[in-house]
Amino acid sequence: MRPEIAELQDAMERQGYIADPAIATALFLSREMRRPLLIEGDAGVGKTEIAKVLARLLDTELIRLQCYEGLDVSTALYEWNYQRQLLRLRLAEQEGQSADQIEDLIFSRSYLLERPLLRAITRREGPPVLLIDEIDRADDGFEAFLLEVLSDFQVTIPELGTIRAEHVPYVILTSNRTREIGDALRRRCLYLYIEHPSLEKEVRILRARVPEASAMLAEEIGRFIQALRRRRLSKAPGVAETIDWAQALLHLHREHLDRETVEQTLGCILKDHHDLRELGPEELAADLAVAVAR
Amino acid sequence: MSRSDLVHHLARFARALRERGVAVSLSDEADGLAALTLVDLGDRGEVRLALRTALKIRPRDAAVFEELFARLWSSGDEGMRPSPPRLPDERHGPSAPRAAPRPAGWPQAVSTTPDVLPTGDEPGYSPEAVLRKKPFEELAAADLQAMERLLSRLALRLATRPSRRRVPTRGRGEADLRRSFRRAVAHGGELLSLARRTRPIEEPRLVVLCDTSGSMEPHTRFLLAFVLALRRVARRSEIFAFNTALVRVTPWLRPGRIDLALERLAAQVPDWSGGTRIGECLAAFVDIYLDELVNGQTIVLILSDGLDRGDVQPLAGAMRAIRGRARRVLWLNPLAGDRRYEPTARAMAAALPWVDRLLPAHNLESLERLLPFLSA
Repeated sequence: MRPEIAELQDAMERQGYIADPAIATALFLSREMRRPLLIEGDAGVGKTEIAKVLARLLDTELIRLQCYEGLDVSTALYEWNYQRQLLRLRLAEQEGQSADQIEDLIFSRSYLLERPLLRAITRREGPPVLLIDEIDRADDGFEAFLLEVLSDFQVTIPELGTIRAEHVPYVILTSNRTREIGDALRRRCLYLYIEHPSLEKEVRILRARVPEASAMLAEEIGRFIQALRRRRLSKAPGVAETIDWAQALLHLHREHLDRETVEQTLGCILKDHHDLRELGPEELAADLAVAVAR
Repeated sequence: MSRSDLVHHLARFARALRERGVAVSLSDEADGLAALTLVDLGDRGEVRLALRTALKIRPRDAAVFEELFARLWSSGDEGMRPSPPRLPDERHGPSAPRAAPRPAGWPQAVSTTPDVLPTGDEPGYSPEAVLRKKPFEELAAADLQAMERLLSRLALRLATRPSRRRVPTRGRGEADLRRSFRRAVAHGGELLSLARRTRPIEEPRLVVLCDTSGSMEPHTRFLLAFVLALRRVARRSEIFAFNTALVRVTPWLRPGRIDLALERLAAQVPDWSGGTRIGECLAAFVDIYLDELVNGQTIVLILSDGLDRGDVQPLAGAMRAIRGRARRVLWLNPLAGDRRYEPTARAMAAALPWVDRLLPAHNLESLERLLPFLSA
């Protein structure tokens, strides 16, 4: 293994993120090749967290663009501050300034509202980490636009001209796979698919994130969650749920999993009504037996 | 391994992937090469991870990737073994494509039966009207061309739904401040007219699951022709064939002549005209593809007669999962064209609670009636 990759893995672990070699390798390649990294995986496997950890590691700013259906350029890139422009226009007219003067004035940077994408490329103090979260929620048109920004790292604002990136940001895109990401954008990026963690990894994550939990409890929680994931659930619990659950159990001062506790707190890990119903007493007992087996 | 060796091996590996239906482009190969120069080539695991990242291997292609990597990419600097075996001749698990003989009963490109298609010389006699009502099993291959034209026209009529994104419009729509103001600048800041924006019409997204088992044989070809015609309008459609295993056939269906596409398809689907395991196939679809391909805008179209003697439990589970995500689930059943038909086959009955509409699909007219359900 390249020492740099092992180093990155350790550094991430020191930041509280347990990364397996796949994650460390992908992040290393994305950093070295200066290419955006597209991370896919089920909800709660820790995709967004990677961007946060990367920003901390590089000691830089994290700029986040949350995607949603209907997201457009004026929310993602820039918007003119119309109200201020109009006010200024009226004032300038009263002062009798010429049209050219007025135009230069109101179409200057101070009337520009920078949205995340523009902010990411205009940051002066070194490259930031740009997190484009849940890109699968935005529509295809936005994807095409994003492709353009991510290829050239420059943005053209008709009134101002072209703004080139001060520093090319580190870009992380995440997707929950609610729709397929277009081929062109995928090609532009490097790709990482994160699966639910193995038992060993999950226990390590628990120990790192919820240090108050005993080794025994973490192990039991890990085994129970793993057993649950093997079932056909419509929403399998992610690591985020595992951590929530561990914290809930600690608040209830439970040191072991038992039937009553699990039944009371099942809502922390199963968030689908149908899944809760499917998991009858027998199934629960079976998974619990797996979890507390010596 | 020298650089030129590396290029060579990578190119061969990428070709092997492509032959198995994994989309790997030239630019992906270039990325792969760049990534390989950055990692420890002696560490097989690291090479594997780097290639997965740089070639953008999706989870659904992971199994093929791992298999080919294990077979074709030897460790360290030995390089790859001499030329990989011809891939399409082998069988790789149930879902892998293989060259199949032309299925029995498959209509030949040139019909041997005399041309039964009415010529339309008689006044008041429309060949199309006849074609519309003619059950699929009575259609000859020669009818396919006439069908194709009709189908394309049908598909064009496919109504669509408005997008959430907004685009400028001259007509009615909501006010667009950004552009209004931009225009006002030309008149010294007076807003003389409001720019407007509206939602454009969006293509429907379809996921089609087509049963190609023996009992569906007489219908399959025409149903698939219809699906292919739909795909010209709904370009983002995904098409799957299933019988005893599920195969994603979208990559083999490039735009072009429908009959050629159908030939390619028959060659790629294992066990064409064999038995059916609807439940397992739909469960496989749910496991591998559901998250990515089906969302609140997707209409899922299942073409099957629902004749399956297997366990119905997986089927009900899969249908529930699909219903939970899709905008609409339609089941087209060629048997439902018969007025006496009741959905009593066990599999059909198990799936029914999760189906929005069970529709007949035995002739062109029935497909025509389907169109409104494919839109918003």
